[in-house]
Amino acid sequence: MNVVLAIVAMLIFPGGLFVIVGSLAYEYVDRKLVARFQNRVGPRWFQPLADLVKLLVKEEIVPAGVNRGLFIWLPVAALAAAFTAALYIPMAGLAPTWGYRGDLVVTVYLLMMMTLCIGLAGANTADRFSLVGSTRALTQLFSYEAPFLLALLGPAIAAGTWRISEVNGYARESMWMIVTQPLGFLVALIGLMGKLELPPFDAPEAETEIVSGALTEYSGRGLAFFRLGRDVELLVGLTLISAFYLGGLANPLQFLLKTIGLLFITAALQSLFARLRIDQTVGLWWRAGAVLALVQLLILIGLKALGVHL
Amino acid sequence: MNVDTTLGGMTELLKPWTLMSRAVSDTRLEVETTPSGIVPAVGALKGAQWGFLSAITGLDHGAAAKADTGIAVKAMGDAAQNGGFEVLYHFCRGPSVLTFRVKLPREAPAVPTLSAVVPSALIYEKELAETFGVTIEGIPDRRRQFLSDDWPTNLYPMRKDFSPGSAEGIAQAAPVAPPVERRGTPGTFIVPIGPQHPALKEPGHFELTVDGEIVTHASIRLGYVHRGIEKGAEDRSWIHNIYLMERICGICSHIHSTAYVLGVEKLAGTAVPPRAQAIRTIFAEMERIHSHLLWLGVAAHEAGFDTLFMYSWRDRETIMDLLEEISGNRVNYSVNLLGGVKYDIDGKGADSLRRGLDFLEKRTRHYLQIVTSDESFLRRTRGVGAITFEQANLLGTVGPTARASGVSRDLRVEAPYMAYPDFPVKTVLDTRCDLEARFVVRINELFESYRLIHAMLAQLPPGDLAAALPRRVPEGEVISRVEAPRGELFYFIKSTGGVKPDRVKVRTPSLCNWAAVLSVAVGHKLADIPMIMVGIDPCFSCNDRSITVRRRGTEELWTWEELRRYGISYYGGEA
Repeated sequence: MNVVLAIVAMLIFPGGLFVIVGSLAYEYVDRKLVARFQNRVGPRWFQPLADLVKLLVKEEIVPAGVNRGLFIWLPVAALAAAFTAALYIPMAGLAPTWGYRGDLVVTVYLLMMMTLCIGLAGANTADRFSLVGSTRALTQLFSYEAPFLLALLGPAIAAGTWRISEVNGYARESMWMIVTQPLGFLVALIGLMGKLELPPFDAPEAETEIVSGALTEYSGRGLAFFRLGRDVELLVGLTLISAFYLGGLANPLQFLLKTIGLLFITAALQSLFARLRIDQTVGLWWRAGAVLALVQLLILIGLKALGVHL
Repeated sequence: MNVDTTLGGMTELLKPWTLMSRAVSDTRLEVETTPSGIVPAVGALKGAQWGFLSAITGLDHGAAAKADTGIAVKAMGDAAQNGGFEVLYHFCRGPSVLTFRVKLPREAPAVPTLSAVVPSALIYEKELAETFGVTIEGIPDRRRQFLSDDWPTNLYPMRKDFSPGSAEGIAQAAPVAPPVERRGTPGTFIVPIGPQHPALKEPGHFELTVDGEIVTHASIRLGYVHRGIEKGAEDRSWIHNIYLMERICGICSHIHSTAYVLGVEKLAGTAVPPRAQAIRTIFAEMERIHSHLLWLGVAAHEAGFDTLFMYSWRDRETIMDLLEEISGNRVNYSVNLLGGVKYDIDGKGADSLRRGLDFLEKRTRHYLQIVTSDESFLRRTRGVGAITFEQANLLGTVGPTARASGVSRDLRVEAPYMAYPDFPVKTVLDTRCDLEARFVVRINELFESYRLIHAMLAQLPPGDLAAALPRRVPEGEVISRVEAPRGELFYFIKSTGGVKPDRVKVRTPSLCNWAAVLSVAVGHKLADIPMIMVGIDPCFSCNDRSITVRRRGTEELWTWEELRRYGISYYGGEA
C-alpha cells in the first residue's frame, strides 16, 4: 500500500472524515430512537454535528490544580485510540484497512483506552464529582472488560484466528453466531453498553449524583473530543459485534442493516431500565456477565475438542 | 404509662410548668410557660407520646401599638405592654393543637433548645433565631439555615422595628457574620450537592461527607430563594395576601392560598357557601394529582429511569390542561377569594374533567404496576431509605412520607375541612417504610383523588360561589392546617383588627421532613442520596420565605467582565 492510499485511508475513508460523519449519524439515530421510546420528539438530524461544532468553538477552561499536559492530551489520546480502532474493523462492510495476526486483541485494547483516559482525566482534576466519577468509571472498567474480551474471543476461537478480517470471513460462511453462541452475543452487546456508559450502566456519569462524573471539569475542545471518541467507539463496537455475531459484514447494505438493528436493541435497553448503582453493576458483571462468558467459552472449547464444526 | 392523652388530660400533665392555660376551642389548648419550663414540659409531652412539634412561631409585640389601624392591643398579656417577644411552640395531634407560649423580654431574649428532646426542632429554632434574634441556648450547630451569609449579624428581619425599606443604611453599617469553615476529617471528603446541581430542580445545599461511596454525615443549608413572604404579608392587605401566599410554591399554589383564606374566614367568622368549599376541594385534589405525577417523574429521573420520567410528565400535561380549562391558569390558578371562589365548574368543565381523570386512572394503574414490578427500579427503591415508624413519628414527618412509614397523619381524615366532611377520604397507608412504599403511597393517593373528584362532581352542591367578608378582620389569632400534597401545611395568622395581618407564619411540609431525611441518609450509598432526598418531595421555595440584602452603592447591573472579576477576587485568585 503506498503512502497516498494510507493517508487517504487514515484521513478520509474508512478512517477520519468517514468515521466522524458515520459516528455522528449513529449518535443521532441512537438519540432519536431513545427519544421516541421515551415518547419525546428527539433531536433533528444535524444536532450531533451542531453539538460538536458548538463545543469546538467554545472556550476551553483548564481548571486550577490539574496537570495541564494531561488535561489537554488525554482527550486527544482517547479520540486517537478510537480512530485507530476504526482502521482494523470491516468498516462499512468493506475489508479492514490494516490487519495482521492478533489485531483483534489490539482493537480491544484500543477500545479500552477511552475509559482509561476518562478515568485518568477525572482523577487529574481536583473536582470531587470528577474523582467519584473516575473511581466509578475505572471500577466499572474492571468489571465489564474481562467478560467483554471473552465474549469477543468466542467467535475468534470458533474461526480459529485472531485476525478480525478472517473472523468476519468465517462468520459470513457459517451459521450466524448469535444462534450458536447466544450467551457470548448477550455479554458482548451489554458489555458494549457498559463501555459506552449508556444507561443503565451510566453510574460513572450519573447526573443526579455527580453532575457529569469524570468529565465535569471538561469544556470546549476536550469535551468535544471525548464525546466524539465515544461516538466512534459506538460505531466500532457495533461493527465488531455485527461482524462477529450477525453473520459477518460483506457489503455496505449489510453493514447498515445489521448495525442499525443492533443500535435499535441497545436503544431499547437504554430506555427500559433504571440506573444501576455502581455496586450493582459490578455485582451483575462478575456474578452474571463473567460467568456467562466463561460458560460460553468452555462449551465452545469442549465442542472444538470433540471436533464439532461450528 | 397510662396517660389521658386528650387535650384536657394535657392540662393536668403540664401543670407543674404552667403559668396559665387556656382552652381556645375544643381542639386548641394554650399553655403559657417560662423559658426554663419549656424543655421539661415538652419532655413530659413526649413521654405521654402526645403529637409532634409542628411549628415554632415568633411574635414581636414591640411595635403592635403602632399598628396601622391605631387600635390598641388588648389582652395580649404583659409582653405586649412592655414590647417583648413571644415564642409559640405548636404541637399537633390529629385535629388538636397544643401551643406553648413563652414570653420573652425585648432585651436579650433567649430560650433553651428543644433539640435534645425533639431533634426536628432545630430547623425551626434556627429560623426563629435568625429572623427574630431570639438566642437559642445549647444549639449544637450555629451555622445559618435560612438567611444569607452576608446578612448582618444584628439585624433581624421579622422584628417589627425592621422594615425592608429602612434596611439599607443599617445593612451598610452592620457587621456581617463570618463564614464558617467546613472541613471533612482526613480520609473522607465532602461532596457538596447544590445550591446548583443537576439533582436539584431548586437551590438548596447539602454537604455529604463520604467515605468511599458511603455517606457518613449529611447536613443541609436552605434559604437560597428566600423572598421575605412572611414579612411581606405584614405589609399587604388581607386580600393582597391571598395572591402573595399563592406564590409561595409553584406546585402547591392553591393549597397555600386555601390555608390562608380558611384561616382568615375563621377569624372573620364567615360561613363559606358549600359549593365554593366543594370547588376549592376539587382544585386541591387536582393539585395533588399534578404534584404527585410531577414527583413521580422527578423521582424516576433521580433513579436514572428517564423513560418513566418522560411518560409521567406527558400525562401530567393532562391535569395541567384541565386546570387551565377551568381556571385559565396552569400553575397559579387563583381560585380562592376571601369567602369563596372565583370559578364555577359547569357541565362542560365537569365532562372534560371526568374524561381526563379516566385517562389518568388508566395510566396511573400502569405506573403502579411499574414501580412495584420493574426489577431494575425495585433494586433502587426496595429497602432503600427506610424511615421507621418510630423515626417518622418522633421526627415529625408529615404527608405521604409519614404515611409510607405507617404513621397515619392526614388532616383530610383527622380534621376534615372544606368539603372533606361530606366526601370522606380513605387514608392510604403503607408500613414498609422504604422508598418503594413512598412510591406506592403517592400513586395510591392518586386513585383516591380521582375517586374524590368524581364523587364531588356528581354531587356538587348548588348555591353561591362566595360570601362577603369585611375589609377589616376582627382581632385574634388562628391556626389553619390543611393537607397539602406534601403533607400538613401549617398557617398561624394573627390579626389586630386592621386591614393587614399582624403576623402570618407559614410552616410548609418539606421543613418537617428534612430531619428524617438527614438522619436516614447516613450509612447509605452516595448513589441513593438523590432518591432519598427526593423521596420526601422537597420543595425549596416553600422552605424559603425570607429576605436578601441590597447594599447601598452596589451596582444592580453587572457586566460580564465585572462579574468575572468579582468571582475571581472572591475566591482569592488574581484579578
